[in-house]
Amino acid sequence: MKDVRALVLTGFGLNCDWETAHILEAAGARADRVHLNRLISGATSLRTYHIFVIGGGFSWADDHGAGVILAMRLKHRLRDEILAFVERGGLVMGICNGFQVLVNTGLLPGFEPGRLSRQVALIDNDCGRFRDQWVHCVFEASSPCVFTRGLEAMDLPVRHGEGKFFAEPEVLRRLEENHQVVVRYAFPDGRPAHGAFPENPNGSLHDIAGICDATGRIFGLMPHPEAFHHWTNHPDWTWEKERYRRAGLPFPEQGAGVDLFRNAVDYVRKQGVS
Amino acid sequence: MNLCETDGDPMAVRLEIALKPHLFDAEGSELCRKIRDYFGWHVGSARVIRVLMLETTLEPEVLEAIRREIFTNPVSQVSSFRPLASADDFQWAVWVGYRPGVRDTAGSVALEAIADFTGRPLGKEEAAYTSKIYLLRDAPLQRAQVETIARELLANDIIQQWRIYAREEWNAEEGIGLICPKVALRHSPTVERIAIDSDEHLQALSDARNLALNPRDIPVIRRYFLRPDVLQERAQVGLDLPTDVELEAISQARSDHCNHNTFRGRFFYKDLDTGRETLVDNLFKTCIEAPTLAVKAQKDWVVSVLWDNAGAARFDDDHLYVITGETHNSPSTMEAYGGALTGIVGVYRDPMGTGKGSRLIAGLYGYCVGPRDYAGPLRPHLHPKRLLDGVVEGVRDGGNKHGVPTVFGNLFYHPSYLGKCLVFVAALGIMPREIHGEPAEQKRPEPGDIIIMAGGRVGKDGIHGVTASSESYSEHTPAGHVQIGDPYTQKKMHDFLLEARDEGLITFITDNGGGGLSSSVGESAHMAGGAYVELDRVPLKYEGLDVWEIWVSESQERMTVAVRPENLDRFMALAALHEVECTAIGRYEASGKLHLTYRGKTCAYLDLSFFREDFPQWEFHAHWRSPESRGLTEPVMSEPRDYGRLLADLLASPNLCSREWIQRQYDHEVQGTSVVKFLVGRSRDVPNDAAVLRPVLNSRRGLAVTQALHPTYGRIDTYHMVEASIDECVRRLVAVGGVLDEIGGVDNFCWPSIQHDDRKNPDGRYKAAQLVRANWALKDMCLAYGIPLLSGKDSMYVDGHLPGTFGERHKVSGLPTMLFTAVTTVEDILHCLTMDAKMPGDWVYVLGTTHHELGGSEYYEKFGYVGLTVPKADPAGFLNLYRAVEAAVREGLLASCRAVGRGGLAVHGALKALAGNLGMEWDLGAVPVSGDLSPAAVLFSESLGRFLVTVPPDRRAAFEAHFKGYPVGCVGRVMEEPVFVVRDMSGREILREDLEALGSAWRSGALG
Repeated sequence: MKDVRALVLTGFGLNCDWETAHILEAAGARADRVHLNRLISGATSLRTYHIFVIGGGFSWADDHGAGVILAMRLKHRLRDEILAFVERGGLVMGICNGFQVLVNTGLLPGFEPGRLSRQVALIDNDCGRFRDQWVHCVFEASSPCVFTRGLEAMDLPVRHGEGKFFAEPEVLRRLEENHQVVVRYAFPDGRPAHGAFPENPNGSLHDIAGICDATGRIFGLMPHPEAFHHWTNHPDWTWEKERYRRAGLPFPEQGAGVDLFRNAVDYVRKQGVS
Repeated sequence: MNLCETDGDPMAVRLEIALKPHLFDAEGSELCRKIRDYFGWHVGSARVIRVLMLETTLEPEVLEAIRREIFTNPVSQVSSFRPLASADDFQWAVWVGYRPGVRDTAGSVALEAIADFTGRPLGKEEAAYTSKIYLLRDAPLQRAQVETIARELLANDIIQQWRIYAREEWNAEEGIGLICPKVALRHSPTVERIAIDSDEHLQALSDARNLALNPRDIPVIRRYFLRPDVLQERAQVGLDLPTDVELEAISQARSDHCNHNTFRGRFFYKDLDTGRETLVDNLFKTCIEAPTLAVKAQKDWVVSVLWDNAGAARFDDDHLYVITGETHNSPSTMEAYGGALTGIVGVYRDPMGTGKGSRLIAGLYGYCVGPRDYAGPLRPHLHPKRLLDGVVEGVRDGGNKHGVPTVFGNLFYHPSYLGKCLVFVAALGIMPREIHGEPAEQKRPEPGDIIIMAGGRVGKDGIHGVTASSESYSEHTPAGHVQIGDPYTQKKMHDFLLEARDEGLITFITDNGGGGLSSSVGESAHMAGGAYVELDRVPLKYEGLDVWEIWVSESQERMTVAVRPENLDRFMALAALHEVECTAIGRYEASGKLHLTYRGKTCAYLDLSFFREDFPQWEFHAHWRSPESRGLTEPVMSEPRDYGRLLADLLASPNLCSREWIQRQYDHEVQGTSVVKFLVGRSRDVPNDAAVLRPVLNSRRGLAVTQALHPTYGRIDTYHMVEASIDECVRRLVAVGGVLDEIGGVDNFCWPSIQHDDRKNPDGRYKAAQLVRANWALKDMCLAYGIPLLSGKDSMYVDGHLPGTFGERHKVSGLPTMLFTAVTTVEDILHCLTMDAKMPGDWVYVLGTTHHELGGSEYYEKFGYVGLTVPKADPAGFLNLYRAVEAAVREGLLASCRAVGRGGLAVHGALKALAGNLGMEWDLGAVPVSGDLSPAAVLFSESLGRFLVTVPPDRRAAFEAHFKGYPVGCVGRVMEEPVFVVRDMSGREILREDLEALGSAWRSGALG
């Protein structure tokens, strides 16, 4: 079977790299944690990878807007390599800080593939504070996003202070017309949160938690799927445990977050990206 | 603060950035909320302008490109090199910026970004300073009120400066002008020679220089420098009298903070009731070291204790975990945000500097502060409400930006902490058992190894922090030691050091905390046999530091590393890759000397043996009186009638109410290791007994950690205060599924001054006795439960001198406090339990005996009583029950488990119901008690050794059989209907409360 290789970016205040590599392996990929400067120096090249993940963290301390400076460095030092990677059919995923980076490079929303332009922003949570809480996410069935194929909904944690999705009405309209809005914050029963706090934890317009580009191969979201790699990550698992036991059912193993990464791995296998 | 020359080179320019006007300004609205919350004043709306002040030689086109490309988000922001605000935008504008020399991470990050963008490094004259302008609209305030907002909410005059503009004063052309808080020290570094002709002279000088030398040490110091052989050797390197560098170094090494002179002192303990006298020689050796070594001898999982920055214990066959706990009280009292941020970032350097270095996996916090609503006559530097907000936010930013989950914590209010607040921070790390075949926990610099200073640069910050925290807080305390930690720089260094470690490049590593280089190099020099350092090689933030300041500065985010010469190039290459500044500042050598030079001239030349010379032990008189003879009694009060309202009130009390507002701001799940979170239950907001992590993601093994403190019990007897904290920690770990035989502890003592002084500290002898008794309990409990003290720290002088109404000052001493942190392994995380009731129909059991022990309880506190009957431990008896509970959890007999603590059965029963969002029906007649107890005593007594558990019907028989012969009572059942019902011994219903009501009381308490 084809060997799917994933690169998880590290350095300059990024974190979440260990668990992101772990969940990629759980999904069947071979994952390497690679420092940004190794990419820039050419010591490591995206050419040998199929999946490129920019994970959570506080790159450059997020002091001048979350993800802004990392985005600038990627744009100035790795623009061509990244565009070529995407062109070749590689998958790019930005989680939390990584999502902020992708929108600041202009890789997202990526209305016209290959053109980098900033059209959406992730700004301070309406509540004015960093929040760590679990949210209910629903996925857009008709989106081209390869990461969420066949997925309907899952609980995931958000952990950010700047996650409010903002764009002007024209851009929002276009995103929704193209089905590029991939993930939305919702009530536990699946109804959209319609801005209700804390179900929508940051005041994101249209409850938007994540979007993809026109090709569906570049995907960014604020919630942390890598933080739900095992069922015991979920806040309710000790409660669920009692239900399984009393129903005489076996315990699950993986967390729902793995599905997103497995989709990516399966896609690469099917495409046979070189 | 000095205005920059706008003529000449470099130029000063000001860039202003703000959200587009039609976007909601969250920071502004949070500001309005706080103004309402703090002062009760209305401000309709507020907007924030970010200011970036640049001193640069860049051409205008480049500046314009930087503005567009780096500092302005075209989607959400507007920006300009001209003022953004026009007079009709606001009623009041407040500009807030840092004072010169205060750490401005955003500023230095801006320089990094500019250099990266322009592709050329910036000149050393180029600088960036960040600040903010707050525009207050619909703000019907007087200038004095705006002054108050600036001083008591937006800024702290210790680290910040501000300017206030009324609408009519605003110059739309100039705006705030150009303000660059550049440090300009017109001072060329010197090395002073210090005359030591008499003890008095040296003492006077110590006071004048704030050296805080102990009078007893002074003769020893003088004797050394006057020794003929010493004089002769010093002459050969061009020294005669001691230099200021040497005396500062000695002062640091001898400070109570570094040397723990109090705990190593001689205590003449006298029980005034019986007249019996006991000599306690060295609390550290007898109550901490001795029991820990005794336990270590029996437990092979205890790997490294009592010497390193943190203790190390076995996690599994391939990994060690490390743990330590610290406090950062004095700085946080003066600058809450910066102090707490520096505290958490600082304690994170301890695991990084343990053994050959470990990876951080968790942080914990504990805050002891004055009442949030304090309205009394005393005027602490920061009001408790603001202080707590600042401390909470400091730990938030420090932990979150470090990428370390903040997994557990405490908050305790008491007026005695108005004088000095307590900020506890603890850290856990993990490392492989072996690195390149060598045990990871071992480290030793060899002669010839290069001394590397890694991380940040050195400035005046933190100078005399150590000696200041060895004094009580008064108007004379130097503010210079208040800093703002930089988790970004340290996270980079953390990642770099782990790579260097794994390549086998590190022979020794330790952190630069208290005492800076003087401590880190000074202490490691003893291991290597000597050290030689060229202080002019140390990279500085700015020129003009005196040589002694370079040596003792506590500038943060620095580690000291020993690297073999042959590994130096590789080490430096790795540092360059990670963009971490590293400098070789000297080498270890077998000279027996601490040898410091500056620009080729020796400025310190001390025999290492001198530091080991037996300086006179500190001595304390400790006088104890039993609570009875101090006049404590049980209060005289009848049974309440309205148990329901009483319970609701208790749940709303400051020390029992919801803590969600704190924990929610902390990233407690980064690294993906979270198994049992601090907050549990259907609404995920009830504190669990302990947090459980899975630091090795492909293993089912876990690590459980918890904390407890009981300062109010100390008002009766600190012995039982410590007993209670340790016993509670043990039960909490067992409750989540921890292994009883692998519990390690961390003791953090925070005590008021115990040195008796008829005027300054008239009850010093009693406080000293309290410290002795607390340590006796620590020893007894650690031996009884087999707990090694993996780490621990003491912070004395928890006293403040606060201004009153009439210009007088009052000494306020904090309650003697010991926070105990306990950690253990979990064999299989799938066995883990949480405290929330799970299913209707489950049976509710109380395990352990309830005594009439209301002394120091939340129940008595509510009525202003202290009482006498403080909870007491019976470790031998308890331990049998704990083993049975440990087995029951492992065998899955329980659906939930709670160690009953503060507030007693009623409070913890209510929380169990709230967390499960399920009702409960109790019959107090079934609670195992000793003696004849009133319903209130059964409900609110805080007896130790107890658990509250729920058991599924199908496991009830097995449960009953398992606990046969133990003090166990089936008190009732869990039910669907969301109501808490309690019947007394006669079967009469005495309490019936809707969970709704109890929940809203408990949640609203936090907002008070």
